[in-house]
Amino acid sequence: MLLRIEKLLLDLAAIAVIGLGALITISVCLRIFLNSGIPDTVVMVRELMVAAIVLPLAATATARANIVVEVLTQHMPRRWQDWLVVFGSVMGLLALLPLMWAGWREVTGAFESGAFFFGQLSLPKWPGRVIFFFGIAICWLRLAIMVWQDIATIRSGAHIDATPDHIEEEA
Amino acid sequence: MDGTLIGIVAFASVIGLLAIRVPIAFALAAVATVGTFVIFAFRTGTFAPERAYRPTSSLVFSNSFDLIHSYDLSMIPLFVALGHIAYKADITTAIYHAARVWLAKIPGGVAMASVMGCGGFSAISGSSIACASTMGRICCPEMLSMGYDKRLATASVAAGGTLGSLIPPSVLFIIYGIFTETSISALFLAGILPGLLSLAGFMLVIWIWVKQKPQDAPRYEGEITRAEKRRAAIAAWPAVALFATIVGGIYGGFFTATEAAAISVSLAVAIGFAQRKLTFRALWDALRETCIQTTSIFLIAAGAKIFVAFIALTGVAPDIVQAVTDAELSPVVLMAAIALIYLALGMFLDPIGIMVLTLPLMVPLIETYGFDLIWFGVVVIKLLEIGLITPPVGLNVFVISSVVGPSVAIDRIFSGLVRFLSVDVIVLIIIMAVPWLSLFIPGTLQ
Amino acid sequence: ETTLFYGEAGPNRGARAEATNWFAEQVSEKTGGELGFDIQWGGALFKAGAALNSIADGVADAGTIIAVYFPQEMVAYGIADLPINNPDAWVGMRATDELMRSSEAIQQNLAAQNLVYVGTYTTSAVHIGCKDTAIRTADDIDGLKVRGVGAYGKTFADFGANLVSMSIYDAYQGLDTGLIDCSQGYSYAVAALKQQEVMDSYTLMNWGQVGALGIFMNKQMYDSLPPEQQDALMEAGMGMADKLGELITADNEKAIETMKDAGVEVIELPDEERAKLVEKGSTYIDAWVEQATAAGLDGTALLAEYRGLIDKYTAERDDQGYPWTR
Ligand code: NA
Ligand code: NA
Repeated sequence: MLLRIEKLLLDLAAIAVIGLGALITISVCLRIFLNSGIPDTVVMVRELMVAAIVLPLAATATARANIVVEVLTQHMPRRWQDWLVVFGSVMGLLALLPLMWAGWREVTGAFESGAFFFGQLSLPKWPGRVIFFFGIAICWLRLAIMVWQDIATIRSGAHIDATPDHIEEEA
Repeated sequence: MDGTLIGIVAFASVIGLLAIRVPIAFALAAVATVGTFVIFAFRTGTFAPERAYRPTSSLVFSNSFDLIHSYDLSMIPLFVALGHIAYKADITTAIYHAARVWLAKIPGGVAMASVMGCGGFSAISGSSIACASTMGRICCPEMLSMGYDKRLATASVAAGGTLGSLIPPSVLFIIYGIFTETSISALFLAGILPGLLSLAGFMLVIWIWVKQKPQDAPRYEGEITRAEKRRAAIAAWPAVALFATIVGGIYGGFFTATEAAAISVSLAVAIGFAQRKLTFRALWDALRETCIQTTSIFLIAAGAKIFVAFIALTGVAPDIVQAVTDAELSPVVLMAAIALIYLALGMFLDPIGIMVLTLPLMVPLIETYGFDLIWFGVVVIKLLEIGLITPPVGLNVFVISSVVGPSVAIDRIFSGLVRFLSVDVIVLIIIMAVPWLSLFIPGTLQ
Repeated sequence: ETTLFYGEAGPNRGARAEATNWFAEQVSEKTGGELGFDIQWGGALFKAGAALNSIADGVADAGTIIAVYFPQEMVAYGIADLPINNPDAWVGMRATDELMRSSEAIQQNLAAQNLVYVGTYTTSAVHIGCKDTAIRTADDIDGLKVRGVGAYGKTFADFGANLVSMSIYDAYQGLDTGLIDCSQGYSYAVAALKQQEVMDSYTLMNWGQVGALGIFMNKQMYDSLPPEQQDALMEAGMGMADKLGELITADNEKAIETMKDAGVEVIELPDEERAKLVEKGSTYIDAWVEQATAAGLDGTALLAEYRGLIDKYTAERDDQGYPWTR
């Protein structure tokens, strides 16, 4: 279930990249050829950036694509390394918790105040904040499940495969 | 509580956590969050945690959200996407193939073609890691099957990959520009000549290497006709067109550096589909890989950004800057010291992390000494690029190693890189001693 | 002895930074060293877009808020950004400062957001510099590619300009390469960014200013201070208009000289042309009144009061000159 949501979010992020690329391309073409443009391109690109960067967070965690330093640990016993992988995820849970709480406050705050961006279209501030909160929350959930599963793996006597994998062709 | 003490404990904690394999982004963010909480909780002298929740979470949120919520940084996913799309559309392979055909008869020609290919790919990709992994996938297996020395085959691509950030476009220049409030377009243009100088340096290394040990680089035995050479060169036109669009568009006033990223991606997609080399499925895969890669770049940058805000609260930074300023170092000594610091950090940390951690301290110093921030940017990026191929943590080396598999041990790659590194140091000294090299092209705009 | 964190998204140089330092020194002086500031420059704590929440949440105890980033939350303060006839830096700051202090409704609106108004800055009068072209009449704007900001930028668009967004740091290169024809700005900023090197003409529009940026404090922190320290903060904040007025007026005059020396043609926009700009810009003034009213403020009354204050301080300047020349 979560895996499917993650893949959906990754696809949405890809759509966001297409969206911001297309938005900028069209606005440049309009300027060069018609001396015209799209209002508030900058604001829309910023909001799309949040989707492009934050929505894949959970998929990044699943792919174990977070960059780590392995110089010292690679010579340790495998069992120690397993526990360190778990510890790393726990640190992630710790680091994301205040972000998630603040993100939630931002979401409610933006709704209550009706905050918007200065511009020709006066676009509201809430969409980017909602996306941000959602992306972080799903990633947090994923990390929590990974900690759970990794501990189960260790308990069963097996080892954790923490090498980053590429996204399967048929993701 | 004493800010300096908190700052020192925090730095030590981060290093400790990194050593035990905690992801860089999480280590930075977690330590910064705890440290910020402690500072706010002790604001009034006594421990009052209820007063710390709101400011801590607010600081953590705004520093990460504002980093992502950026128009200029949209260049990063776009230039990363450009690299992936160019690979899927065979644009990258065409560059390498052209260099390969033209240099085939020269001793060490395939290694040189690999470095040239890296240079060409750098001109359309924003990331060194992407450069190393893409060119590694294309060049290394071929060199190894031709009987090239393993060290030469892997080290040349690992070194060539570092061109990715020096030759525009470049993610590192984008981040440098944002943090120092300098023109990203000017930085891009400034990187061209130093990038070409580095490329020439790598070519020289290969030439001398093969001169000394001809057995390390078996000659290409096949026959190559003129028509073949011409065809290969013509087939490489998409890469040339993309680079010309990026640099020509910025230089000619058609669009900004940010816009250039979007335009070049659109162009690459159009070329790919027009040549029937890009499928919808391949494009989608390229975008997915782009998102994963970009997200991990931003995660580290966000962690570092939070850490920088926390360090600002401790008040450590001005003390350090003051201490260095008071020491009244001569410009040469200062630059040498800065170079050593970046080389030392580069041994362990990744370039973006180093940059966001150090620039808030370095920029005031550099301004005090009256140095040009564009030139300093080129120097910093070159130093960070060297860090990608120095042990023990050489990201480019790890990337190449994951491409070639267990047949070449990591320490073999590092030993092959010794010659490349020594030339890199010479190139670095030239870049530092001759600011003209960096400032000439952006200067012609005035 | 209390040290307050001050968050500033801008750099620690230039007239605004000088005024901020002056403010901090004044507070320290007036409280006998009991109250001091630790100023974090360059957005080290937060960027301009996060200033409001960061101050309200106590990331910094005080800091600079630029209203254009918060059109909803800072709607009242936004009056100082409107394209009304308001070109004098000192007059604009005094009028804004008095309005912000005297209006009970504005105080309450801010208090509800856990904020206290302390003092105001300005970026000074909005002008426009061009390359290979010159704006001599309002109609000259038609068809030009302009880096425009705020309601002024919107008004340029209404005159047929094509707005191009880029950071102020890229404006130099934008003008140089021809990506933009003109860039909206302030005289001192033109000189600081060396834009005179790539400009051919600079039109003094004497139209209005972007003045809605100022010092705000976290209300809880403010309320926790003893009354004499609160007074010191307010007095220092009130003094900002005179101090920054002096600094920025001198900087702007010097910048105009720099431009002339660099061969830039400095053009005074004729009164009847400026009237056209003011006229067209009134759309955005009406929109503001509507928005302020929707937010529970009496927009019409505030605007009338603000216009009255501008007239009052313009008269004072004309009678007595600027405070620093008296
Ligand atoms: Na590049
Ligand atoms: Na290294």
